[in-house]
Amino acid sequence: MRFSPSVFYAVSGALMLLVSGHSLADGRVVDKVYHPYVQALERGVEYRYFYQRQADHPDNNTMGQKLGYGFSVAERAALEIYLVADRVSPEDYKLSGYELELRWMLTEQGQYSADWGMLFELERQNNQDNYEFTTGLLMEKEFGPTSLTLNMLAVYEWGKTLNSEWEAEFRAQYRYRWRPAIQPAIELYVGENYKGAGPSLMGVHKFDKQKQLKWELAVIMAIDNDTVDRTLRFALEYEF
Amino acid sequence: MSLALPVLAEPALFELQIRDHLFHPSVLYVPAGEKIKLLVLNQDPSPEEFESFSLNREKVILGNSKATLFIGPLQPGQYHFFGEYNSDSAQGVLIALPEEQWQQRRADNAN
Repeated sequence: MRFSPSVFYAVSGALMLLVSGHSLADGRVVDKVYHPYVQALERGVEYRYFYQRQADHPDNNTMGQKLGYGFSVAERAALEIYLVADRVSPEDYKLSGYELELRWMLTEQGQYSADWGMLFELERQNNQDNYEFTTGLLMEKEFGPTSLTLNMLAVYEWGKTLNSEWEAEFRAQYRYRWRPAIQPAIELYVGENYKGAGPSLMGVHKFDKQKQLKWELAVIMAIDNDTVDRTLRFALEYEF
Repeated sequence: MSLALPVLAEPALFELQIRDHLFHPSVLYVPAGEKIKLLVLNQDPSPEEFESFSLNREKVILGNSKATLFIGPLQPGQYHFFGEYNSDSAQGVLIALPEEQWQQRRADNAN
């Protein structure tokens, strides 16, 4: 398929228009958009950061960080363990919980019209006996030198200070694979009390052999009145 | 009117070997405009990763093992690939030929 920039703009526009109807999930809606791929022998450490800003919004000054260590446990499955820290104003910044994540690659890349994977996450909130289980489908499809990635997730929360409930989250990323170090994209997030979209930039820098550093930076802006105005998302992943 | 389901053609199969941290062949010709199946046989005892940014593929092949990649349909052109674990030596290029050139090449090889 021959690529023209108009395809990138058209799909970007379609993603922006996708946001309609009722949304569910709360918590950290703006997070990594997962690709449905796993490599045998993959191993890495990962750092993620997000920060939200709007002077008169209850989520103003909210900040979250994750530090993870991940490795493949089979040719098509990878585990990652995270420490989660956040600050929900006016509370102090603290280590808030732990998370275990399993990614499962369902189809070989390029074999079918789209590539599929699954995500399973279990998070425990420190000292509160609150839990969050997330699962869902990861999809990616190539359009010439661009890739569309969709995450369709279901979230179940329960615990001492939480009402048990199912929620839904949707994440999308449309990326132009311009060059390894610089790949512009547009991202979209829909969850409970959150609907946002914005530009992002990502890339990879290779060192020796399989050692490489991946980076992602996104500025996500509210697209309805309930959502906090601006969210900054940043991630670094070192694979070795 | 036929109610038969369409039969999807199996992608053409191409083979690439890894020996002594080199790709054999290091130049691989394939047809443009159709999906291909690439069987990569790693005959070295150590793992290797087939990687290509232009093909948007990366795949680890364990030592003395094999893996299948699905590539394309590609535009005519050259697509560089390399072995991530031994990138000094494991280098190659996949050349996607337009229909006419691909048929000509097949005819030449048959003679």
